[in-house]
Amino acid sequence: MSLITEKDFGTPASVATETVTLTIDGQAVTVPAGASIMRAAGQMGTQIPKLCATDMLDAFGSCRLCLVEIEGRAGTPASCTTPVANGMVVATQTPKLAKLRKGVMELYISDHPLDCLTCAANGDCELQDMAGAVGLREVRYGYQGHNHLNAATDASNPYFTYDPAKCIVCSRCVRACEDVQGTFALTIAGRGFGSRVSPGQSELFLGSECVSCGACVQACPTATLTETKVIEIGQPEHSAITTCAYCGVGCTFKAEMRGEELVRMVPYKDGKANRGHSCVKGRFAWGYATHRERVLEPMIRASTDDPWTVVSWDEAISHTASEFRRIQAKYGKDSVGGITSSRCTNEETFLVQKLIRAAFHNNNVDTCARVCHSPTGYGLKTTFGASAGTQDFDSVEHCDVMLVMGANPTDAHPVFASRMKKRLRQGAKLIVIDPRRIDLVRSAHIRADHHLALKPGTNVAMLDAIAHVIVTEGLVNETYVRERCDLEDFQHWAAFVARPENSPEALEAVTGVAAQSVRAAARLYATGGNAAIYYGLGVTEHSQGSTTVMAIANLAMATGNIGRPGVGVNPLRGQNNVQGACDMGSFPHELSGYRHISDEGARNLFGADWGVTLDADPGLRIPNMLDAAIEGEFKGIYIQGEDILQSDPNTKHVAAGLAAMECVVVQDLFLNETANLAHVFLPGSTFLEKDGTFTNAERRIQRVRRVMSPRNGYADWEVTQMLARALGYPMDYQHPSQIMDEIARLTPSFAGVSYDRLDALGSIQWPCNETAPEGTPLMHMERFVRGLGRFVVTEYVPTDEKVGPRFPLLLTTGRILSQYNVGAQTRRTENAAWHEEDLLEIHPHDAEERGVKSGDWVKLASRAGETALRAKITDRVAPGVVYTTFHHPLTQANVITTDFSDWATNCPEYKVTAVQVSRGNGPVDWQISYAEKASRSRRIEATS
Amino acid sequence: MRDEEIATLQAILADQAARPGALLPILHQVQHAFGFIPKDAVPQIALALNLTRAEVHGVVTFYADFRQTPPARKVIKLCRAEACQARDSDATAARLEQGLGVTLGAASADGSLALEPIYCLGLCASGPAALVNETPVARLTGERLERLIAEALA
Amino acid sequence: MSQTRETLITMANQIATFFQSQGAPDLAARDTAQHIKDFWAPRMRRDLLDMIAAGEAQRLSPIASDAMHRLK
Ligand code: SF4
Ligand code: SF4
Ligand code: SF4
Ligand code: FES
Repeated sequence: MSLITEKDFGTPASVATETVTLTIDGQAVTVPAGASIMRAAGQMGTQIPKLCATDMLDAFGSCRLCLVEIEGRAGTPASCTTPVANGMVVATQTPKLAKLRKGVMELYISDHPLDCLTCAANGDCELQDMAGAVGLREVRYGYQGHNHLNAATDASNPYFTYDPAKCIVCSRCVRACEDVQGTFALTIAGRGFGSRVSPGQSELFLGSECVSCGACVQACPTATLTETKVIEIGQPEHSAITTCAYCGVGCTFKAEMRGEELVRMVPYKDGKANRGHSCVKGRFAWGYATHRERVLEPMIRASTDDPWTVVSWDEAISHTASEFRRIQAKYGKDSVGGITSSRCTNEETFLVQKLIRAAFHNNNVDTCARVCHSPTGYGLKTTFGASAGTQDFDSVEHCDVMLVMGANPTDAHPVFASRMKKRLRQGAKLIVIDPRRIDLVRSAHIRADHHLALKPGTNVAMLDAIAHVIVTEGLVNETYVRERCDLEDFQHWAAFVARPENSPEALEAVTGVAAQSVRAAARLYATGGNAAIYYGLGVTEHSQGSTTVMAIANLAMATGNIGRPGVGVNPLRGQNNVQGACDMGSFPHELSGYRHISDEGARNLFGADWGVTLDADPGLRIPNMLDAAIEGEFKGIYIQGEDILQSDPNTKHVAAGLAAMECVVVQDLFLNETANLAHVFLPGSTFLEKDGTFTNAERRIQRVRRVMSPRNGYADWEVTQMLARALGYPMDYQHPSQIMDEIARLTPSFAGVSYDRLDALGSIQWPCNETAPEGTPLMHMERFVRGLGRFVVTEYVPTDEKVGPRFPLLLTTGRILSQYNVGAQTRRTENAAWHEEDLLEIHPHDAEERGVKSGDWVKLASRAGETALRAKITDRVAPGVVYTTFHHPLTQANVITTDFSDWATNCPEYKVTAVQVSRGNGPVDWQISYAEKASRSRRIEATS
Repeated sequence: MRDEEIATLQAILADQAARPGALLPILHQVQHAFGFIPKDAVPQIALALNLTRAEVHGVVTFYADFRQTPPARKVIKLCRAEACQARDSDATAARLEQGLGVTLGAASADGSLALEPIYCLGLCASGPAALVNETPVARLTGERLERLIAEALA
Repeated sequence: MSQTRETLITMANQIATFFQSQGAPDLAARDTAQHIKDFWAPRMRRDLLDMIAAGEAQRLSPIASDAMHRLK
């Protein structure tokens, strides 16, 4: 393996379709109109010297190194800023140019330290390369003049270092922060010779607006901005393309290695989801893979009161198998089940559900998607016929109106948020429907046209009100509806939303949003051009989650906003492979590709392939498994890569369910909270240690490539396979590609997918089959997957979770940029620099009423339980609403959340809990005892 | 910033933020009101204009005219352009530095007095020229120069 | 009666409420039954039917109750 290098063409590709032919250095070259001379030269293999240009950014023209001569034109124009023209004759190397370039380089080098040999960028420095390219042999100005050589280094950011002594003030970092990331954290302070890069107001990176995405580091041509790991370890020598294991954006990276040590993750320009960009998590927060707390050896114990005993893999696997066999013999075959992980690969997920259906002989398999996007699956399948988002991410570039609902992309889907922000800066309009003033509502260069700050739990009412305006003001796209949708259903729906009780005026009291704003937003959505809806867990995690998804689908169909670029319904998936986990048949009622278990044809297909008879009835979902456990009927569970104790609602209920089981098997990287109640711990492997695929929020299947051997000995799929064998069910895969072949064989929407195809195409968006051999970027183009689009009546039903005198405030939950979900990984990285603890956001009025000041400990109580955390007073939340994240085990925000759930899928109602907030003086009793119990439970017996 | 300072700033922002290209006029007014651009004003200006602190800071530091520290009680800006040099402004500069005990381009230790270079005030015919707290003075030699020094130290 | 079994009633009622809102009263019970058949494990159906038989499901809405009868 060698280091994958991506060519830098200097300026972005031109999207023009017409072409231009010119001559460069005597050679004719044809390129798209609008391309720069630099790019055209690069295309024919000629690298014009450059410093301030890079193809991730628009040309800037400041370094004057890329000068060329053009026949018939005076002077020496910069090739990065000069567009090509037909018949142009360009010379890239002449004595005059050579002299000019040398002169420029001399000036740069006269104020640059000459410590190349000990510089971290040695071997990967464009300044060094250019000195070579222009033949720099002397610096006539000497090094004694006024200089920046003693400027102090800023190492405040844990992941990269800023050494201004090496800066050539090319502004690439500033432009990357603006154009690519959209944060505008950097500027050039001062001017002339005194200019220097400044985060914020000439302060440290860590205290500035910087969100540590790394775009500036990637853009920097010198060692000025360098990954701290490169400084520590040295330059990498080989690399592989892989996919981020954090969120559903699915950024691809070059994992750059030195031996088996990961040096850095560099976003891959060819990555179709991220187009060369990244966020702090994928780029930097991978240190957990080698964190000292990672458990590398299997462990068992008879009771959760005992300390763990380290055992061999053989013993752990055979112990588990015999426990499951014993339990099934005693309590019946339905008394065990398992949970697949949205963090693991498609192949691993597929294997776990196969293990359960074929070796446990029941359908008691569920996945963490239950608690996030299961309503998306149900809602979109019902209305469109396919359980997935309709677009690719590129589609946002054609969008005129974005409607963002119950999602906080800048924190949860940062790389896609950067693309949204870029489109918004180009003039697209924005509607935000969210109880909280998320950053997209207002942040540098971004301002939502409408922010409908509704009361938590009133999504359906809000969407009905918008639909009311569209229908009653004649904004329906009738041609589209007539051609593409079921008319009878439409008329039924239209009559429903047109009812006076669904008008914005009538629903004002319910949603708390002024009718005028709702009407204006509805008009904008219906008439503003290409309109796309982006939504997140603020839509799904409600008792009416599925209804809300269908209401969204209704709006898109009614306005004709499905089936072309720039429009669509786009669920922003939380975890890296939540789409994949759902696709792979992780739900108790569905086989891979969303075929119902009662469908005899599908069942027999699998049965024949697997050599078993599959149960025709749906199995238990996670909450039902826990209920059954409490009832004494469910006794054993195999949990791969999920911390249900921390992530699932009503922690006490989950704990009671787990405690009632006789064999809880946790397969994970760390002793997570669930493991405190487990009897078997099987060490998991990280995405760096295995081959496989993840499927992102745009249905894009991408490769995960192994760059180091599993420190725990086995990839997760190998562990599942060992367990299946120990249970007497044969599995004999040598490589995950064979599992993918089986998936393709059994799943029509994956029929054309294989590792070879993935290697050839880079990535594939399902469905991929005979009719779409390269995959399907946009769905429902000519017709809906189900034939005619189906409108569904979406009546608003208030949740049973109501505020009252005891619990007068509504709690809603979310996440922040630097942490990921329960934080098992991110808390074990330097990301802790940005988020030390979960805070409760509370409006100044509510805080004052309770005598709470910022930073005070407060007690947060609901009818499910209570916890304590510190308060942060902010008007981001409306009066009556409080908000917190759920990243830290000590807070356990889910002690508070209740077990109300979505009517169709049981997806928990995380986003609405009635609570009371009062002043506290530190953690509540159970938090203290929990912390003690947890650390007791984590004891590992010393082995000889 | 004190409450009344914040009020002043907010009044400027309320008045100006909506106009196109508002940043420079706002910075001028802030400097006029406070004598300089207070560090703590920058985040508020950024917020009002939907910019980042970095962007506002970039502009503030780009223009030599915007000050980031309170001005001295008395600021003498001596012209150092060619015409005045031809009329021996070098000697004037030397005498000012020595007489005021301040180096050109710096302020006195107590911050009360500053001597700054400036380039051409359009008073070339009657140089050496200077601005004293924005009031032009010319022919700064001999008697007139000594009077200026005495007044500055008073 | 346990809290977890109570949840079954809540869930059945929620499903019934949705299908009732679809506006065709004759179909609501049928669709509710179908949904429960499609998504509930047999054990859950059985538990709820047991509760009905034992007179412990008074809280069940008429449509949910009708639906459950179809699943007997
Ligand atoms: S830090 Fe790097 S990218 Fe930024 S101006 Fe300096 S050399 Fe250029
Ligand atoms: S790391 Fe990202 S946000 Fe921070 S300064 Fe660099 S580009 Fe801007
Ligand atoms: S966490 Fe998401 S946005 Fe960030 S790098 Fe990974 S996939 Fe991309
Ligand atoms: S690369 Fe063209 S001017 Fe710098």
